[in-house]
Amino acid sequence: MHGGACMNELLESLQFIYGPQIANGLAIGMAVVLMALGLTIIFGLLDVINMSHGEFYALGAYLAVTLAGQGVNFWFCLVLVPLLMAAIGYFTERTLIQRVFHSKDRHILTLLLTFGLAIITEDLFKLGYGPNPYKPESPIPGASELFGIMLPNYRVFLIVAGSCIIVAVWMLVYRTRLGAMVRAAAWDKHMAASLGVPVERVYAGTFAFGVALAGLSGVLLAPIYSVFPTMGKDFILMAFTVVIVGGMGSIKGAVIAGLLLTQVQSISSLFISPVWSEPLVFGIMVLFLIVRPQGLAGRLGHG
Amino acid sequence: MKQRQLRHTPLAAAFALACLTLTASSALYAQAAPIRIGVVTPLTGTYAGIGQQVKWGIDLAVKEINDKGGIMGRKIEAIYEDEEANPNVAVQKAEKLFQVTKVDFLTGTVNSGSTLAVGQVAERNQRLAATTVSFSDAITGDKCSPNMFRVNAKAGMQSAALVEWMVKEKPSPSVFYLGPDYEMGRSTVAAFKSAAEKRGGKSVGEIYAPLDNKDYSPYFGQMRAAKPQVLYTSVAGNDTVRFLNQLSEFGLAKTMQIVGAAGTVTAQNMGAIGKAAEGYVTGAAYSADIDTAENRKFVADFKAAWKNEPDLYGVDSYGVVYFYKAAVEKAGTTDTEKLRAAMRGLEWQTPQGKKLMRAGDHQAVQDMYAVKVTNGKFQIIAKVPGEAAVGPDTCTRF
Repeated sequence: MHGGACMNELLESLQFIYGPQIANGLAIGMAVVLMALGLTIIFGLLDVINMSHGEFYALGAYLAVTLAGQGVNFWFCLVLVPLLMAAIGYFTERTLIQRVFHSKDRHILTLLLTFGLAIITEDLFKLGYGPNPYKPESPIPGASELFGIMLPNYRVFLIVAGSCIIVAVWMLVYRTRLGAMVRAAAWDKHMAASLGVPVERVYAGTFAFGVALAGLSGVLLAPIYSVFPTMGKDFILMAFTVVIVGGMGSIKGAVIAGLLLTQVQSISSLFISPVWSEPLVFGIMVLFLIVRPQGLAGRLGHG
Repeated sequence: MKQRQLRHTPLAAAFALACLTLTASSALYAQAAPIRIGVVTPLTGTYAGIGQQVKWGIDLAVKEINDKGGIMGRKIEAIYEDEEANPNVAVQKAEKLFQVTKVDFLTGTVNSGSTLAVGQVAERNQRLAATTVSFSDAITGDKCSPNMFRVNAKAGMQSAALVEWMVKEKPSPSVFYLGPDYEMGRSTVAAFKSAAEKRGGKSVGEIYAPLDNKDYSPYFGQMRAAKPQVLYTSVAGNDTVRFLNQLSEFGLAKTMQIVGAAGTVTAQNMGAIGKAAEGYVTGAAYSADIDTAENRKFVADFKAAWKNEPDLYGVDSYGVVYFYKAAVEKAGTTDTEKLRAAMRGLEWQTPQGKKLMRAGDHQAVQDMYAVKVTNGKFQIIAKVPGEAAVGPDTCTRF
């Protein structure tokens, strides 16, 4: 009798407390992975640590808010914004990144350049849109209950859409001719160039692709997290952690690390004060840097 | 020694006589001279918006009183000094108003630090002062001054009003608290928690989320498990936008009454919160919607004069002039000692209703309101009697 009650209690807590927590952690995990994907691809191929990645994410969200204000439908924004962002990314790579890319201090120069870009962009948001937040309406309102787990419909959509994007990106990089060129350029740019790969354009195109992914995350996450000038800082620390733990430049590693770390955060916040959940995650990152600095998986194009 | 004193007696007597005649003539002259009210308020800087309301409120009351013949036949004159919401500047300006301009009464300070500092200046100058804006409980609590009065509601009265409304709505409710993890968040939660527990509230959990937290849903598990009837929050700005929206997305907003601090939902973030703000309840000392003849007239006159709606600061600054008028008329003089005695226990009429100046700590006792967001605007849903909201007198200095 007593054992039965105990069992019931355990089942109930699994269903009503752990279940929703895991499902919800999955939605946040998708958001983090989407941010980390662009970051890790740019790093893996270009060897550039893009400090303005968060601001590109914010720019995507602001573009979506602006377009929505012009009456553009959310689903159309989901296609249009990444295209606009890709153009912006391509332009940024050709006009800014390329200028310092070939210097022997590439790491520090590109880091400073993108960091400065981030600061300027954030202030431009403040000038253009003011300090107050915008909150786009959720395109899929309401919540659904599945096995007693209550999850907002839009977060369910985010999990599904995020999975599709991850698979699409993976297919693009590992299963297409274009992806093969990208990987070849990352592996040995001189060899790739001598085999007829337009390395310069591949670089700009890859940067554009990473930026487009950041913009896409901006559109997807705006209805959940709202839009405001400093939003770029929201996911960037977590995204960097994921890239480090996953292995700098690894797509597979970013996905695994992103989902794993957000679950750690989600489950741990049931028991410990929220203040400790970030030190916990960053502690894992430090541990990885000490024990396994190459991360979970290898670099893009390196296996 | 004794001889010297004797030798000076005729001179001292002559001096005293001269003084007496001077005072008598100045007293005669005073009947016609205006009563001067010094106003040290921020006219520039961050708090300029508040200073503007203070000036509008005082100017309107001064005009009304002067049109009806002033106070005991004397006109009132308001003299403004910009304090820049800086206690150091406030002290200099207050000193100047007392010493050079010879004001009879001082008001207008906004920053609580300025009010506390100006209280000391008033003590040195043996004049009286009042604040119409400062919230800090200390002003009429452990840092009370015999020369300082507060005609507006203190911070503690807002949360007390909210607790009063809550326990009436849901007797002995289970309450969950979520605040931002820094001084303001922790102190607001602590204050509301102790007030709620005193009135039979059961605390079922508390969480302090980092400032600028992006996703509150990881805490929903704890919240769901605690099954609270009421959720109290003191997050602010964009944190409120996310928190309230996420609560409603997860269907949690429906399961409990959400209440919170005065700064949680404001005109700045109400638009972005949207529908998720509906039903949110907080404590307030004033709303332009108060449906009494006095308030309707006040709001109409204020709008006619300044093309703007009065807020809390405007109405309390309007009220302080009538407070001063009632006290002078009761005392029959502007003499500090007699005026102080008249102010203590004074009841006077304001657009917010009748107020009582509590003798023990110089805190005005006034009715408070619970206001609820309805169709994107705060509406009064309950009135909490002043005695229930004001709390015990903790002033020990006088």
